[in-house]
Amino acid sequence: MKIYSVGIIDYGMGNHASVVHSLRDIGFRVRVSNNAADLDETDVLMLPGVGAFPSAMATLHERGMVDYLHQQANLGRPLIGICLGMQLLANASYEHKHTVGLGLIPGDIVPFENHDSHIGWNTLEFSQNNSLWSKSDGAAFYFNHSFCYQGPSEYQVAITQHLIPFPSIIKRGSVIGLQFHPEKSQLAGKALLKNLIEGLVDA
Amino acid sequence: MLKKRLVGVVTVKDGWAVQSFGYHRYLPLGKPECLVENLDRWGADEILVQVIDRSKNESGPDFQLLETLGKLGLETPLIYSGGVRSVADGMKLIQLGADRIIVDSLLHKDLDIIRDISEKLGAQAVIGSLPLSWKNNEIQLLNYQSKDLVSISDGILELIQSGIISEILISDWEHEGMPGSFDSKLIEKFPLKNISIIAFGGISQSDQMRVLLEYSEIVAVAIGNFLSYHEHSIQKYKEALIGMPIRLASYESKFSLIANTDVQN
Repeated sequence: MKIYSVGIIDYGMGNHASVVHSLRDIGFRVRVSNNAADLDETDVLMLPGVGAFPSAMATLHERGMVDYLHQQANLGRPLIGICLGMQLLANASYEHKHTVGLGLIPGDIVPFENHDSHIGWNTLEFSQNNSLWSKSDGAAFYFNHSFCYQGPSEYQVAITQHLIPFPSIIKRGSVIGLQFHPEKSQLAGKALLKNLIEGLVDA
Repeated sequence: MLKKRLVGVVTVKDGWAVQSFGYHRYLPLGKPECLVENLDRWGADEILVQVIDRSKNESGPDFQLLETLGKLGLETPLIYSGGVRSVADGMKLIQLGADRIIVDSLLHKDLDIIRDISEKLGAQAVIGSLPLSWKNNEIQLLNYQSKDLVSISDGILELIQSGIISEILISDWEHEGMPGSFDSKLIEKFPLKNISIIAFGGISQSDQMRVLLEYSEIVAVAIGNFLSYHEHSIQKYKEALIGMPIRLASYESKFSLIANTDVQN
């Protein structure tokens, strides 16, 4: 049986220990790097991250990762963004100031109304049927964010209810963004990561 | 729908996890990382590590402890409290693995630094700590460092109302460590409504949690000492709270607890 490998893009935003631990616990090989040659050897790319959008984009540019991610996405390589990593996939964000994002999934990152934050465990409601996530419908995951994705409905795979419904999973081709933290969502998080990664590689 | 949370609290003093009684009497429990690992395994919704001697001694956050905890690869969100002095402290704590941080003494010293931390990390990552008591028919805020009881300042209230900090931790410090004794007046009489409160101190019984979780302002209850008496206490509380808007009890197992997920552990 082939053991899949995940390349975590290291750009200095947040701690990767929980992501690495979850992925290894599921049975994947993991490599954390900002070196294209290292990342090329993995099956799936993962872009985690916590912090502010502008500094995250600046760091991705500094480390030469913006061009690399564009190339890989154009080649159809699976890429999963988590939390801030999901937001970076969008065209732009209005966190602090207007900042251009990776533009891999059309849409913008905007604040919740009244500067509200969305913190804690909440469920996903899927709008598209797919074996990648069918077993996670209704499961609770950990969210911790003040901004959310706003964009065309064709890219919205799942929504979550918080005052208003907002997209919690977005997808365009093999590029997927998760607004929550699967690595901090215990068994439900690992089950989703396993199905997503295996499904993307096997597709 | 957003669930309300049961937060497991590990109190740390002089590098050891302790059982605290009113923050004046302490019993050692062991290494903090062992207690945190247990809470992670037992399925707490969040883990709060509060290092109670760092702000008091002005020694800054316990980065070494966070480094140890960060390496555990926790699958549960982690809140750190104790000694946060600056934006740089906050950023380093997040880099080391905290998901959110609590500001305490800064609420008495420099609200602008809290604004800066919020701008840098996002409001969702910042919680304000308010150790409160109900005395002489009014809510009083304890300043840990000076031991003074003061009114909650307009500046602090503005910080909460404007969303600079996302949640407040209201600790009933006088009843901390005393079973079933959290004073709900601290919630009822709090000067702001429509805010997000984590209630802590003297919360030990599921009936009491049920009453507290009925308050719309309470988004989480935090439990300290009482989790140390039995294994899987968090899950037992959750089982007793069926019908409340909380995440269902779940046990980490070597075998999948979700049909056909085939997760390897």
